[in-house]
Amino acid sequence: MDALNSEKRMIPSAKAGAAAVGLLLVGVAALGCAAAVQFYQDSSGGYFLHSYLVNFCFFTSLSLGALLFVTLQHIARAGWSVTVRRVAELLADNLAVMFPLLAPLAITVLAGNGALYPWAAPESTAADHVLHQKQAYLNPAFFVARGVGYFVVWCLMARYFLRLSVRQDRTGDPTLTLSMERFSPPALILLVVTLTLASCDWLMSLWLHWWSTIFGVYFLAGAAVGAMALLILLVVLLERAGLLAGEVTIEHYHDLGKLLLASVAFWGYIAFSQYLLIWYANIPEETAWYHPRHGGPWAWVSLGLLVGHLVLPLFALLSRWPKRNRLSLAFWAVWLLVMHWIDIYWLVMPAYDPEQPRFGLGDVCCLGGMGAVYMAGLLWRCRNRSLVPLQDPRRVEALAFHNE
Amino acid sequence: MEAREQQRPSAGLAGLLAEFASAEAVRAAASALRNAGWTRWDVHSPFPVHGIESAMGLRRSGLPWLVLAAALAGVLLATGMQLWTNGIDYPMIISGKPLLSLPTSVPIMFELAVLLAALAAFGGALVLGGLPLFGHPAFSSLRFRRATTDGFFVFLSADDPRFDPAAAQTLLQSAGAVSVEPLQLDASGRQPPSAVYWALATTVVLALLPPVLVTWYRAGPKPNPRIHLIQDMDFQEKYLPQGSSPLFADGRAMRPPAPGTIAQGALDADEHLYAGKVAGQWATRFPVPPTAAIMERGKARYAIFCAPCHGLVGEGGASGITSARAVKRREPNWVLPLSLHTPTVREQPVGQLFHTITHGVRTMPAHGAQIPAEDRWAIVLYVRALQRSQNATLDDVPEAVRPRLRP
Repeated sequence: MDALNSEKRMIPSAKAGAAAVGLLLVGVAALGCAAAVQFYQDSSGGYFLHSYLVNFCFFTSLSLGALLFVTLQHIARAGWSVTVRRVAELLADNLAVMFPLLAPLAITVLAGNGALYPWAAPESTAADHVLHQKQAYLNPAFFVARGVGYFVVWCLMARYFLRLSVRQDRTGDPTLTLSMERFSPPALILLVVTLTLASCDWLMSLWLHWWSTIFGVYFLAGAAVGAMALLILLVVLLERAGLLAGEVTIEHYHDLGKLLLASVAFWGYIAFSQYLLIWYANIPEETAWYHPRHGGPWAWVSLGLLVGHLVLPLFALLSRWPKRNRLSLAFWAVWLLVMHWIDIYWLVMPAYDPEQPRFGLGDVCCLGGMGAVYMAGLLWRCRNRSLVPLQDPRRVEALAFHNE
Repeated sequence: MEAREQQRPSAGLAGLLAEFASAEAVRAAASALRNAGWTRWDVHSPFPVHGIESAMGLRRSGLPWLVLAAALAGVLLATGMQLWTNGIDYPMIISGKPLLSLPTSVPIMFELAVLLAALAAFGGALVLGGLPLFGHPAFSSLRFRRATTDGFFVFLSADDPRFDPAAAQTLLQSAGAVSVEPLQLDASGRQPPSAVYWALATTVVLALLPPVLVTWYRAGPKPNPRIHLIQDMDFQEKYLPQGSSPLFADGRAMRPPAPGTIAQGALDADEHLYAGKVAGQWATRFPVPPTAAIMERGKARYAIFCAPCHGLVGEGGASGITSARAVKRREPNWVLPLSLHTPTVREQPVGQLFHTITHGVRTMPAHGAQIPAEDRWAIVLYVRALQRSQNATLDDVPEAVRPRLRP
């Protein structure tokens, strides 16, 4: 494609760089503000660390879901999604921004502080036989090593897809597409395995004695919902800004909407599967996880998820027209992003306070701060990169894509 | 039919079949026909032509609503079925769950919703698409066979209120038709062959047989056992007790244990405790001294294992819940359990009662495998207490309680 065309598909680098630096400063300041507020509310640091973990897992899951999307598109040799794939590639590559944000969790655990993960404190493992037995896996050094390992694997995979795809923008070499298609199946397997382990490490181990074999799939399903929602939202915004004009049509939104609907149904199916088995078997060590979420104010959050994360979007997106209308699709994308955040919040926060949900200025700062850092990373990645795979051999197919 | 033929000068003309060169041409022709106000016509193409539905002015199909309605009906049906079977018709507590618990119903709701939605989608697509169709005038055209390979056709029916062969011919040709062919109505009419009706009627009658038979068999008592229609795994390719096998020299399928061996935990050397016998005669005394604790244990075991048939007091008949249900349902093979207060039973030595519980008697099944020997003795003790309670004299009642007795 000609130079003029590629310029039209790019956020001006100087602007993107400046905005990224600004957002990074704002984000770090907001995170500092969150830490100050929440340490003031709870000097043990438990409140801040749990709140931090919620947002860390939320934004990491968005990028993981984007990586999942990219690998799936290559595996399916999908033509329709080519024009929106670059945005997903950039989102996935943003895992590199989440990597350093692992540090507060790692430092807490390595310091033997049990405010977030009680198993990290030597005195609690000494008093608990089960924890003592789990030590071979759940110990600070191995936890941190695993966390670093996950991110190295994820960042390498995400960078691989972005690099080859961007190289194709310049060279137009169709064999790069074949390389990515060959790499995708093993990458998907590696991604799902590491993602499962990471969800067990970061979220499931908050409950010392609880386990659920479907937990990784649950996290994956939630990540898919969040990533599809964010992708739709970004594509709508970029198209409005004229950067994707002519590249995406209502047909692309229709298919993105179908994937969003499928992810919502998948999440509901997995969430209910986990709930039904535990509810039916009624074994105390399993029901302990649902117990705080079943009664008191947390029950309203649980019901809110059932309605807001499953029933409403499922029926709202079932019809054809809501998926073929940018405004309604963007609305449900925002809605599901909020719901996905609440889902992660619901996974984490009962570990801190099983009695009632807490939400305050500190949580807002933490979410906003991490979000700003995340967006800063995304904008930084957009510099000098087209937002569309310009010379992908299937781009013509994507441009001519029609749903009927 | 005849009246219509009289009205119309072009008697016997079914319509005009126009062939077009390409998908674009047939789409343009569809727009032209629609703009000209024709209503009874259809497009036939070897593949779905993009944009043809808007060119023809087809409205959105109602099928999605049909499917949604069927799915919701499935949800309702599943909920109702669970409520009826588990909550009302045969209330049974499973795993300590409520009689109607929503979570257990969800998988059933899901499955039935999917099933009914799939059936509705399949059947609805056929019916809304006008199928099954037994004949169409276009089938008489040899040219029309190419509609499944590379031909694009418009069939303009003579039923159209503004049908006029000459005008239609002009319109189709001006819309770019390669050829226009008039098609005649089939002389045999549009009725499906009578064999179809017979086949349908036979199917309906046959399909009604099973529910009628089921209803008839359920309606009242029958002298014979119920028909065992669905055998499940009741009859299997396996050796039954006392069966024969060609594999062994003695021809027996059941292999005797090696001589002199005893299974672990099956020694049962204490004849009094495990067989209820002392020196080959029925024991008349308990092998362990009877205590209040053993009596309580016996009472609890009796309530679990014996009371369902013999009743809580042991008077037999229809006093136990199992027996009461069998009597209520008029089960033809049910034998009423015996009262434990008949002189025969009361005079039996404790060892014989123990033996009866262990090995069963007549239709009463053996309980030796379910109840440990100590518990069986506890039940015997409690049965003795029950027997005494039903045949008590004034001397058996403590002095302090006697004034409260009514004559």
